[in-house]
Amino acid sequence: MVQKHRSLTLPAVLGMALLLAGCPSPWPRPSVPANPSAIPPAPPPVAAPAQVPEAPPAPRPQAPPRENHLSPATRSLVAQAHKLLAQGDLDGASSTLDRALRIEPSNPLLWIELGRVRLTESDAHQAEVCARKALALASGDHAAQAQAGRVLADALKAQGRNPEAQEVESRPYMH
Amino acid sequence: MPGVARSRVRRWRIFFIVSGLAGILLAAVAAIWIVHLDRVVTREFQGRLWSVPARVFAAPLELYAGAPISANDLEQELHRLHYRRGDPASGPGIYRRTGNAFDLEARRVRFIDEQRDAQRVSIHADNASITSMRAADGTDLPVFRLDPPVIGSLFPIHGEDRLIVAPADVPPLLRDGIKLIEDRRFDEHHGVDLYGVLRATWANIRAGRVVQGGSTLTQQLVKNYFLSDEQTFGRKATEAIMAMRLEAHYSKEDILVAYLNEVYLGQDGARAIHGFGLGSEYYYAKPLGELGPAELALLIGLVKGPSFYDPRKHPDRALARRNLVLKEFGDAHLIDAAAVKREAATPLGLRPPGGSYVPAYLDLVRRDLKRDYAEADLAAAGLSVYTSLDLRAQGAAERALTQNLQRLDSKSPVRGEHLEGAVIVVEPNSGDVVAVVGGREVDTNGFDRALDARRPIGSLVKPAVYLTALETGRYTAATLIEDAPIELKLADGSVWAPQNFERQVYGQVPLARALAESMNLATVRLGLDLGLPKVAATLERLGLESSPTLNPSLLLGTVEMSPLEVVQVYTTLADGGFRTRLRAVRAVLDEHGQPLKSFKVRVEAAAPPAAVYQLDRMLMLVPTHGTARGAAARLPQGLVIAGKTGTSSDTRDSWFAGFTGNYLAVVWVGYDDNRETGLTGAQGALPVWADTMASLKPVSFEPILPDLVEDRWIGFDDGLETTPACSPDAVVIGVPKDTRLPVNPKCTSAPSPHVTAGDKIKEWFKSIVH
Repeated sequence: MVQKHRSLTLPAVLGMALLLAGCPSPWPRPSVPANPSAIPPAPPPVAAPAQVPEAPPAPRPQAPPRENHLSPATRSLVAQAHKLLAQGDLDGASSTLDRALRIEPSNPLLWIELGRVRLTESDAHQAEVCARKALALASGDHAAQAQAGRVLADALKAQGRNPEAQEVESRPYMH
Repeated sequence: MPGVARSRVRRWRIFFIVSGLAGILLAAVAAIWIVHLDRVVTREFQGRLWSVPARVFAAPLELYAGAPISANDLEQELHRLHYRRGDPASGPGIYRRTGNAFDLEARRVRFIDEQRDAQRVSIHADNASITSMRAADGTDLPVFRLDPPVIGSLFPIHGEDRLIVAPADVPPLLRDGIKLIEDRRFDEHHGVDLYGVLRATWANIRAGRVVQGGSTLTQQLVKNYFLSDEQTFGRKATEAIMAMRLEAHYSKEDILVAYLNEVYLGQDGARAIHGFGLGSEYYYAKPLGELGPAELALLIGLVKGPSFYDPRKHPDRALARRNLVLKEFGDAHLIDAAAVKREAATPLGLRPPGGSYVPAYLDLVRRDLKRDYAEADLAAAGLSVYTSLDLRAQGAAERALTQNLQRLDSKSPVRGEHLEGAVIVVEPNSGDVVAVVGGREVDTNGFDRALDARRPIGSLVKPAVYLTALETGRYTAATLIEDAPIELKLADGSVWAPQNFERQVYGQVPLARALAESMNLATVRLGLDLGLPKVAATLERLGLESSPTLNPSLLLGTVEMSPLEVVQVYTTLADGGFRTRLRAVRAVLDEHGQPLKSFKVRVEAAAPPAAVYQLDRMLMLVPTHGTARGAAARLPQGLVIAGKTGTSSDTRDSWFAGFTGNYLAVVWVGYDDNRETGLTGAQGALPVWADTMASLKPVSFEPILPDLVEDRWIGFDDGLETTPACSPDAVVIGVPKDTRLPVNPKCTSAPSPHVTAGDKIKEWFKSIVH
C-alpha cells in the first residue's frame, strides 16, 4: 500500500488530497491531520533576519479552518428533536439528541441544540456548559461559534449574569 | 325400664346436640377457611401478579449511510439479535441477504423514546460501511436502529426471573399444546379434575410408584404461586380449594396465561427461568411468537422436569421428550403427520450458552440505579433499563484482556498464579460507558476489579501535575525542567529519595519529554514547585471524588483509584477539559413503557480548554516518542492516539489510560494478592488497550485547537523551536499564541518549502488511507 502511494507523483497526490479534503462527506469526517508529520505546510514564513534567534525559524504547523455540518442522519434526528420540542416533549427531544450525539459526539452543532433544549428546560447552568463545550468544539468555525455564543449569552442572562453575557455578545465571531 | 330408657334417650340427645354443634363449628371453620383462601386468591391475583425483574438492554446499533458497518458486520449483528435468514414477508425477525443488500422485517421493539412497530427495511452496505437504507414504501431512511439487545435482568436474591407474555402474544400451538400435555380436560373442569386424579391414582397403583400427577394447570399454578413445596394432605386440600376458588373468579383464559407466565422452566446459575416468555429467550433467544413447533414442543416437554430434561445437560433425554410431545401433537391433530416427521428430524437448535452475559457491566448498572430505586422495585416492578453498553466494544475488550493475560501468564516466571485485569471503555464526549470487563473470567459474577479494585495509579497521576503547571501560565511544553536526584525529609522524619524507573538521570529536559518518558525526578521537582495542594485540587477537578493524601509520593501516583475512577479523570482530559458524568444507564421505563427517569448527559467545565489542549498534545507524544511506543505495532498504521502508562512501585500494578478520536479506555493488569508482576504499564496493560482499540474501528484523536493556542515544532530533546526538516526529533506542541520560544540556532533559515510540502502531503495521505 505504502509503496504504491509513494510512487504517485506529487501533483497527483496533491490533487487527490485536495479532492479528499474537499469532499463534503460528513461521516467519517475528512481526516484532519493531527500528527506533526501529517500537517500540510503553512505558507512560507515572513522572512526574518537570521541573526535574531527568537524569530520564528520556519513554517509553523497550522490547523486548517474547520466547518461543521450535520450528516443526513444527525440532521434528520435534529429535525425530529425540533418537532418533539415544539410538542413540548422535552425528554423526547433530549433522547433524540442523545441518539444524534452517539453518532457524532464531537459535533458542536449538536451541543448547541442540546444547549437550547436545556434552556427550554430552564436548566441554565447545563445550557451554559453545553454552549461552552460547543464553543470549544467549534474553534475555527465562526458560524458555529456565533450560534454557540448566542446560546451561551442566553444561558448567562437566564442566570442573571448580564455583564458576562454582554462580553460574549461583543466577541468578534458574534458579528 | 323407663328410667334407663329415658337416660339412654338423653344420652343420644346430648350426643346429637354435641356432634351437631361440632359439625356446625367445623362447617363454620371450613367456611371461614374457604373465605380466607378465596380472599388470598383474589387479592394476590388482582394486584401485581408476578414479580418481574428489571430487564436491562444494551444500546441499539444505529445504522445510517456512512456508518462504519460492513455488510458482514451487519449480518453478524442480525445474528446476534437472532434474526434468521428466510423470507422477510413471512414475519418479523427474518431477513434476506442478496449480495450486499439486506431485506429485513424488523421486530416490534420498545426504545427509550419510541415504541416502533414491526417494519420492513432494505439496507445496502459495502465492504466498509452502510451505503443506503429505504423503508417499505421506497422512501429514504436517514437513520434506523436495530433492536436493543437484552443483556440480562436485575433478578433478586432468590433468583426468580421472568419475561411476561401478554395473552395476544401466546402462540395458538402453545395454548393447545400445553393443555394437551399437562391438562387435557382444562376447558371442562372447575379447578380440580376428579377423573384425572382417578386416572393418575390407577396409573400409580399399577406402576407401584408415582408416575403421574393428577394436578390440573390451575392446581399447578396455585401450587407455584401461593404455596410452599411440602407435600401434605392439608396442603393438597388447600391447593384444591384455592384452585376451585380461582376458577370461580377468573376466566380460563386468565388462568392459562397466568400459568404460562408462572411455570418454572430451568435454572441458569442463580437465576431461575420462569414462564414461556423467558424460556423462549433463554433457550432460543427469540420472542415466543417466532418459535416453531419443535421449539414449542421442547419447552412444553420441559414443564414435566426442567432439570431432568435440561436440553443443555441432557440433550438426548430432551430430544426424546420433545419428539414424544411432537407425536402427541400429531395424534391430537394439532399439526399434521408430515410436520411431525419434519420437526422431529430437526436438531435441538439451542442458542449457544453464555454469550452476552455481562456481570461487570450489570454491577455498574445496579450501582447507578441504587441511588434512585429500591432493590425490591428493581427485582419486581417490571422496569426496563436502557444502557449505553455496546456489545461489540464489550466483546473486543473481553477478547483483548483474556488473550493478553494468557500470553503474559505463559511468559511469567510465577507459575500457577493467574494475572488478573480490568478494562473500561467509554465514549468521552457523552460519558457513555460502552464496555466493562471486571476480570479474566468475563462471564462469571465475581469480584469486579473495574469498579472495586482500588490500586495505586503510578504515573497515571502525572498528567494532573503537568496540567497544573500549564494552567499557571509559567510553563509550556517546551519549558526546561531539571531531572536530577532529590531527597525529601518527610513529616515522620524519614527521607524520601525517588528514582527514575531506569535509575538514570536526564538533566535539563523539556516538559513534553519529561512527561512522555515518564521521568520521576523531573515530575517530583515540578510538582513540589507547584505545591501538592494545587496538584491534588487538579485531580479533584478532573473527577477524583475523594481528596488524596498530601504526601510528596502523591506526585508519583501512590494515590489509589479504581479503573472507573481513572476513567472519570481521563475523560476530562480527552474531552477538552469538560468533565462529563459517566453514564451506564440512559433511561428507565416502567412496566407500561412510560419513561420514569432519564439520565441526561451532564457536563461541567473542569479545566481551561487551552491548558488541556497543550497537555493533550504532550500525551500524544507518549505513543510516538515515549513509554507507549509499543502500541503502534498493534494499531492501524498512522492512527493518532494519546495516553499515559502507569506502573506502581515494584511493578505491582500495570496501567494504561488513553484515547483515540472515538473511545477512551483504561486498562489495569496485576495480581489479586498484590504481588509483583514484573510488568510495566507498557508491557502489561498497553497491549490489552491497543488490541481493544484496534477492534473498535478507531479514528485518530484530533484535539481541537482553541482560539488562544497555536501549534509549534520543538526538538523533543532540547525544547528549542525547530522544523521537521531541520530536526529529526521535531515534535508538535501547543503553546499560548505568540509565546516566545528559544529557537534552535541551526534551524533559523527556512528550508525549501517544496521539499517539505511534498513530504508532508505524502505522509498525510498515508495517514488518511490507513
